[in-house]
Amino acid sequence: MAIESILIINKSGGLIYQRNFSESFASKLNSNDFLIIASTIHSVFAITSQITPKALQITQNNVDYVIPYIPMVGMENSNPQQNRNSNVPVKLGSYKGPDFFKEPFISWNKSGLRQLSTDQFTMYIYQTMTGLKFVALSSNVLSNNAGTTMTGSIDRTKAVNIASQVADNFLRKIYCLYGDYVMKDPFYSMEMPIKSELFDKAVKRMVNNLL
Amino acid sequence: MSRQQSINSSQTAASATAQSPLSRSFKATGEDVWKRTEKINAELFTLTYGAIVSQLCTDYGRDFTKINEQLFQMGYSIGVRLIEDFLARTALPRCQDMQETSEALSKCAFKVFLNITPRVTNWSSTKDTFSLIIDENPLSDFVELPMDAMEQLWYSNVLCGVLKGALEMVQLDCDVFFVSDILRGDQQTELRVKLNKVLKDEIPIGED
Repeated sequence: MAIESILIINKSGGLIYQRNFSESFASKLNSNDFLIIASTIHSVFAITSQITPKALQITQNNVDYVIPYIPMVGMENSNPQQNRNSNVPVKLGSYKGPDFFKEPFISWNKSGLRQLSTDQFTMYIYQTMTGLKFVALSSNVLSNNAGTTMTGSIDRTKAVNIASQVADNFLRKIYCLYGDYVMKDPFYSMEMPIKSELFDKAVKRMVNNLL
Repeated sequence: MSRQQSINSSQTAASATAQSPLSRSFKATGEDVWKRTEKINAELFTLTYGAIVSQLCTDYGRDFTKINEQLFQMGYSIGVRLIEDFLARTALPRCQDMQETSEALSKCAFKVFLNITPRVTNWSSTKDTFSLIIDENPLSDFVELPMDAMEQLWYSNVLCGVLKGALEMVQLDCDVFFVSDILRGDQQTELRVKLNKVLKDEIPIGED
């Protein structure tokens, strides 16, 4: 799951962080474009949560919001060839152990937009309880052609599900980094754009591990 | 009308997920997260806090009301940031009532950050106000209040600010204050948390 771009949107819909990780379509947009995209995502998110299928409105839905823990998404040892000679464990800020967490968790985003698939890329959104949104643009495309047969369409649903679970795991880790490197920076003012090099580096490293 | 229905049905769904076997007890979560958090020597923390309070005493010319206020303000700024760290670590779902909130505070939050588990008591009849009894307060190790501070200073007032700030960020508008402190010669250290209201309008869209 190659990540093209990551955006962080604050609770009022303003873009506070945006980075590109490859020479893709995203790098052809300027910072103003991204500001507009961010607030559009914020609005579309709000609209999608307001339109719910009638079936879900009248029945007691027991939708499962549990995201399974997918081991080592974006972590250093997830790719053994990459750093075979470095046995030094990487420090994860204030987190101990090889990974940030190791339990399944319940998604906070229950009726908003979670995934947007296009022919060129897939977008994933993770929202926190405080209203912060983490958005990842992935260059992976979930092909539509597989869905011709009955089993094919089931496989596709499964693939879509797994991709979105991997994305939720990954974006929660970005949230962990945010909690460490942004929230604990005394010179950061709340709701303002993030200008932290440590955070930048940590995010970049995690994205690179995901290739 | 249909919107109302959707809120009702999703609330039952949310409570169903909270009771699923996957959502573990607060105690287990707290201990687990505590194990996976980096630690420092508690004395370093205690002494740093002591240095801040004593500096404030000098700066404000021993006006303890102002010092309490200042400590609260500092705590508030810590709380609004610390909540993100707490949520990233624990990923706890939203609490359905204050009883859940009290458990999350004592068994997860205090455990993860201070390695203590305050007791929850003194519930008001409306179940929106409770007390946290802090038996061992790591902030006030080695502390004896000077005579002039005995009556007015709440030494650990930073904690009130932290709770206030953190709860406000998850849309719980609360009043947090000390009612007694061992340092002042009381029987126990008691922190009172009173829910004013749930800021329903500010709950992030998409959570219901």
